[in-house]
Amino acid sequence: MLKNYLLTAWNVFLRRKLFTAINLACIILTLVVLLVVTAMLQEAFYPSGVEHRSNRFLQVHMIEATNEKHTSLSRGPLGYRVIDKYLKPMPGVEMVAAVTGIEPTAVIMNGSSTEVNMRHADAEYWRVLDFKVLAGRVPNEDDVTQGRMVAVLARSMAVKLFGDPAPLGRKIETGGQTFSVIGVVQDALHLNAYADMWVPITTYPNTNYRHQMTGRFFALLLARSPDDLPAIRAEVQRIAARMDFAGDPEFTSGQIWADSKIDMFARSLSSSKESNPDAGALVLGGITFLMFLFMLLPALNLVNLNVGRIMERSTEIGVRKAFGASNGQLAAQLVVENVVLCLAGGAIALALAAGVLWWLEAAGPIPYLRVGINFAVFGWGLLITIVFGVLSGLVPALKMSRLDPVRALKGAA
Amino acid sequence: MIKLDKISKTYHTDKVQTLALKEIDLHVRKSEFVCIMGPSGCGKSTLLNIIGLLDRPGAGNIHIGGLPVQSYKDKHVARLRNDTFGFIFQSFHLINDLRVIDNVELPLLYRSMPGSERRERARAALEKVGLGARMEHYPNQLSGGQQQRVAIARAMVGQPDVLLADEPTGNLDSKMGAEVMDILLKLNEEGTTVVMVTHDEAEARRAHRIVRVFDGQLVA
Repeated sequence: MLKNYLLTAWNVFLRRKLFTAINLACIILTLVVLLVVTAMLQEAFYPSGVEHRSNRFLQVHMIEATNEKHTSLSRGPLGYRVIDKYLKPMPGVEMVAAVTGIEPTAVIMNGSSTEVNMRHADAEYWRVLDFKVLAGRVPNEDDVTQGRMVAVLARSMAVKLFGDPAPLGRKIETGGQTFSVIGVVQDALHLNAYADMWVPITTYPNTNYRHQMTGRFFALLLARSPDDLPAIRAEVQRIAARMDFAGDPEFTSGQIWADSKIDMFARSLSSSKESNPDAGALVLGGITFLMFLFMLLPALNLVNLNVGRIMERSTEIGVRKAFGASNGQLAAQLVVENVVLCLAGGAIALALAAGVLWWLEAAGPIPYLRVGINFAVFGWGLLITIVFGVLSGLVPALKMSRLDPVRALKGAA
Repeated sequence: MIKLDKISKTYHTDKVQTLALKEIDLHVRKSEFVCIMGPSGCGKSTLLNIIGLLDRPGAGNIHIGGLPVQSYKDKHVARLRNDTFGFIFQSFHLINDLRVIDNVELPLLYRSMPGSERRERARAALEKVGLGARMEHYPNQLSGGQQQRVAIARAMVGQPDVLLADEPTGNLDSKMGAEVMDILLKLNEEGTTVVMVTHDEAEARRAHRIVRVFDGQLVA
């Protein structure tokens, strides 16, 4: 029976080339956008690459500091003191890393200046994240403790500065300091990893940073197991309540939150001060809902096109009914036809999406982006395609399968 | 085989009610060849559609093979149509997107039957109507007479008890019409019950019995 359905579908598609082309274009465009967005979201939030342990780490990216009278409020990165005094000693974590946000700096090389995105990081940072080391090594505890003037470069920046993917031992001058390159790592776009150059935290020209409650640092809290994350969140809340701002000229208290990547995104959207473990799920639900809406529009268009297409085939439906097709069998046939069309569109869309992702990587509108069609994205694409096919085929199929056979045979649907 | 008791049918539009059939009593016996005749619009096709369970009567009872079918749901009606009836239409109603052989296989698709058996039966049915060489053609590559013979093959491939033919020669010239009649008579001789709507008196005289409809009522 399926063969008959497919044969009919194939001939209908060939006979109505314009309809088929419009339908396919509609499906392909929607799916390409969905697949590319899915791939980007996965890259951003799914444990992968450098941040493949992100399912068991939380980030403290922000401190909201205020004074007694609440006349002054600051929201921004943490001071190193918060990490060093309160987060590093906290129980229940495997490791706490400190790293600054991106610090743009100018590197002078052969008389010309190149803008470099730099981070200061401690030794734990290199253990929480899993950089692929392409040459040399990354800083260790000793380098950090001793304040050695060493640097790690991302591969693209190594090539850009030195024309050499492994410029080990070469010198970099920036901000009046000279660093020696000890390692090169693979480019990474991930939230906590993106940078062109990393140097030890202890290479700041002075130690003022060690006494600040607000500053330029982020903390990464690595749990022993994903199951420990709720307890770590709660502990961070307790720590926030007892943080001591003594000596700070401006602030007297502050609030910090330990968030997963998606929670952090949710917090940035909502500006919420609460520690809500469901926020990430809500954001994902919202994204899914938006994707569904995005899919619904072409689906409605397809429903409309399909009703017109199937109306033309009312005689066929009448004949099939006369020879024993039940309403359910007819609905199934029409849905199968639509799913076949959508799967064909899905296959083309997957190829096109792979092309778009390749272009996004190769042409470099987003630096260090590493995305591709992987099995998870492919699975989503397939699921989306089938949902799409069923959505756009079911309504007209049900409508047409219930046609009165006498009217259908007269072509008077 | 088929028994209609006091069958009535009224069509409703926004403002007008049209009485298509009024208290029809009809009994068609097994292996009988019955012709339904009457002027255009008298209710012949409506009667045929009700016999074939394509349409539901407004009142009255239908018995097929001794069983009342009035209360049957869609699935059971579909099953009964598939097992019991074969339809032949004036306009052939072949599916132009399918090859001749696939058109003929159609009734068997709705039975649990292996594909090879379906193909074999469809082949045999086409050979029986003299179109064994046209199996791979599409309907629009055939003449009107050939298309109607394909339609007959499709109607008989499931070996139904009853063939219902609605003016099967109406769109054919006299030679092709005669060929189609010969096939129907042969099938009837082999035991298939045939109920045929026609305007042609000569054709009707070849049947066992003529039923005349006028203004929705049987008159003879």
